[in-house]
Amino acid sequence: MNYNKKEIKKGITIHNIATSKFKTNLFAVFLALPLERENVTKNALITAILRRGTQNIQSQDLISKKLEEMYGASFDCGIEKTGDNHIMKFYLEAINEEFIPEKEELTKKCIDILFDIIFNPLLENNGFKQEYVESEKNNLKQIIESKIDNKRVYALERCIEEMFKNEPYGLYRYGYVEDLDKITPQNLYEYYKKLINECKIDIFVSGTIDNEKVNHMIENNEQIKKLNERQARYNVISEKTNQGEVKEVNTVEEHMQVGQGNLVIGLDINFQNDNSKFIASVYNAILGGGANSKLFQNVREKESLAYTAGSTYKRQKNVIFIRCGIEIANFEKALETIKLQLTDIKEGKFSEEDINNAKELITESIRGISSEQDTEITYYYGQELSDNFVPLDEYIERINNVTIKDIQELANKTFIDTIYFLRD
Amino acid sequence: MKIIESLKIKEKEYIEKLDNGMTVIIIPKPNLDKKYVIWGTHFGSIDNRFIMPKTEEEVFIPDGVAHFLEHKMFEQPDGTNSLDTLMAMGLEANAYTTNDHTAYLFECTNNFYKGLDELMDYVQHPYFTDENVEKEKGIIGQEIKMYDDEPGWKLYMNAMDCMYKDNPIKIDIAGSVESISKITPDVLYKCYNTFYNPSNMIMVVCGDFNPEEILEEIKKRLVKKEEQGEIKRIYPEKEKEINKKYNEVQMEVSTPLFMIGYKDIEGMADKKEIVKKHIAIEILLNMIVGKSSETYKELYEAGDLLSTPDLDYEFSDEYAHILISGQSKNPQKIKEKIEKIIQNYKENGLNEEHFNRIRKKIYGDYVVEYNSVGDIARMFLADKIKGINSFDYIEEYNTVTKEYAERVLKNVFKTENMVMSVVNCKQEK
Repeated sequence: MNYNKKEIKKGITIHNIATSKFKTNLFAVFLALPLERENVTKNALITAILRRGTQNIQSQDLISKKLEEMYGASFDCGIEKTGDNHIMKFYLEAINEEFIPEKEELTKKCIDILFDIIFNPLLENNGFKQEYVESEKNNLKQIIESKIDNKRVYALERCIEEMFKNEPYGLYRYGYVEDLDKITPQNLYEYYKKLINECKIDIFVSGTIDNEKVNHMIENNEQIKKLNERQARYNVISEKTNQGEVKEVNTVEEHMQVGQGNLVIGLDINFQNDNSKFIASVYNAILGGGANSKLFQNVREKESLAYTAGSTYKRQKNVIFIRCGIEIANFEKALETIKLQLTDIKEGKFSEEDINNAKELITESIRGISSEQDTEITYYYGQELSDNFVPLDEYIERINNVTIKDIQELANKTFIDTIYFLRD
Repeated sequence: MKIIESLKIKEKEYIEKLDNGMTVIIIPKPNLDKKYVIWGTHFGSIDNRFIMPKTEEEVFIPDGVAHFLEHKMFEQPDGTNSLDTLMAMGLEANAYTTNDHTAYLFECTNNFYKGLDELMDYVQHPYFTDENVEKEKGIIGQEIKMYDDEPGWKLYMNAMDCMYKDNPIKIDIAGSVESISKITPDVLYKCYNTFYNPSNMIMVVCGDFNPEEILEEIKKRLVKKEEQGEIKRIYPEKEKEINKKYNEVQMEVSTPLFMIGYKDIEGMADKKEIVKKHIAIEILLNMIVGKSSETYKELYEAGDLLSTPDLDYEFSDEYAHILISGQSKNPQKIKEKIEKIIQNYKENGLNEEHFNRIRKKIYGDYVVEYNSVGDIARMFLADKIKGINSFDYIEEYNTVTKEYAERVLKNVFKTENMVMSVVNCKQEK
């Protein structure tokens, strides 16, 4: 395997992925925390403030200038939900030294800049720089409000919100406008210090870099040396699934000025089995995974009811979302057609070929993981947060072991939880 | 086979023009698991009037035919759909239509040759009937509606309307519900027979291939087709002026969207220069409003921009323009700042250190394009359709001097050719 990891301090791990498939080296740092209502907005705001400036490189344009000098190295950060965790993600990508016209050392520069941004923020008066906090508050407000702009994404977010009402996963990853007023540079910095002391820290290095050399650079970095050991506070994602209870279907309709209706249906999988997540993957692929799926074939192709029709399996939460863009007047008919597909799978109305297609679709994407640098990192990070490490080849094997009986059993334990419809 | 090598990034390109006129480009990537093939025809939404080489008949077609044809190519006489067949093999298959080309592609780790059988079979065997054409109108009608709800697409189409009065770039790629209602099997066959002739097509493969072997595999799957002469494409005469300075619509968005355009009147006049010019424009755009620019810093700090605007130069024989787009509460201010800095650069010249730094960054951006088989193959196809070799960007980047960029700045970034399209927030009553 080209993957190695090393815990350098309790709660802080370096992951090395040795690969010569790319022109770039990619460095990533992930900070994991439990998703909590009182902290979501702060986490999102901190991510944005950190990229504004460090004690060594005091402003964003100075950071950009440094990166441009390094043949356009690119820094990126973001915030995501993975299971019931809130993850602050920081990336730095730079061209592999082999492909630059003049000899130049870039790896150490990358490491220094990246850690400086995350662990050494610019401070004043025992807090973050006021100007940065204020301007990032305004920006975050705009980002939160822009949720409505992309109707397809909005409809999915809303369905998740409805389905996980009062649960961590129902929280919006960027937080809430009403929290912003209470945040000051000082109280935010106090929270930041606590966060840095408690979060789970994972550092990924992918590319053609000597592991020992780069790990040595990382361990000797001033910012890393400052960090304490920790009993990291985060939610382990369990491979085991629960036999939940069946709830009444929650139907939500929302009106906006749109020409096309967006229908999102959240499915709950109440099925207990050691292989449940692999079975659910195959089930989802048969239902709405691709052009062969029942949804695509019947809702889009046969009935011409929709331009998009498919489903996604959220592995960490063990739920499925069906998504269709439909003519508003076709709502009833589309819903009926979708329900019919769910019933058909329950009754075993699918062929050996359907299963094989579904498995091929999933295993092909697993085989392709190592061809994309950030996807490979994301895969190993997912394994890191889970209580059970599954290497890529075992993943493929377990998908291939799923049987018709498994799928039918799971289908009979899968229920509609929420129907969300965005219309005019 | 002709071999072109880029020493800087250690990649090779093999090019062969087959006897039937088709061009094949192979970029071997020995250490990658993924393989990618894309087969494109030089037929896009702008090609709506042409003369068929064999019959010399002049044909006008409704808007949206290239895209409609793309959808219909998958349908087989036995009722199966080739997209499904490819997906069933576990391949990531797709197709798309742009202004100037249509492309069919798939990506995979396994089953490449089985996939190639299917791809080359369905692209060479159209099957259009009254019934299947009618049915497709429903599906595409939904797709058109999906675009109508997209503020970004409206913004772009309105920017085109500002820059051009009568130019095929203004045609919506998917057409309109009204225009596609006029499409018949006969129209589709006429277009197919004209534009899907091998002499009008390019295939690009990228992945772990032996160039000679893959070339033979492609050749043996080709159906013999008669040679055809050149397709005469008829376009309206190019206008020297813009159509209007400003366009604004209201839609349901949280923050206004803006797109500033500079119509490039001289465009591709000189084909040999186009790569150099393109590089210069990318450097200039980054100097004007890129991440480290003074303009961006000010706008960001004032809360007028949340992220760097998208910077683009779109060009073909029929159109050429620069696009700067993003979201801002204050589009007018963005426009003023950009005009001001351009004026400043024109009067005082570019800063040498700034120019060199951005040129290094642009080089890095080009190198990163070579990370994925899909990016590589799509880039080589799109460039080749325009008559460009993609490696030229890597090779030419350091021939672009500060003085050259300053000349491009003066010729292309002209105030009288600047337009702006805005999608504003709906006013609450």
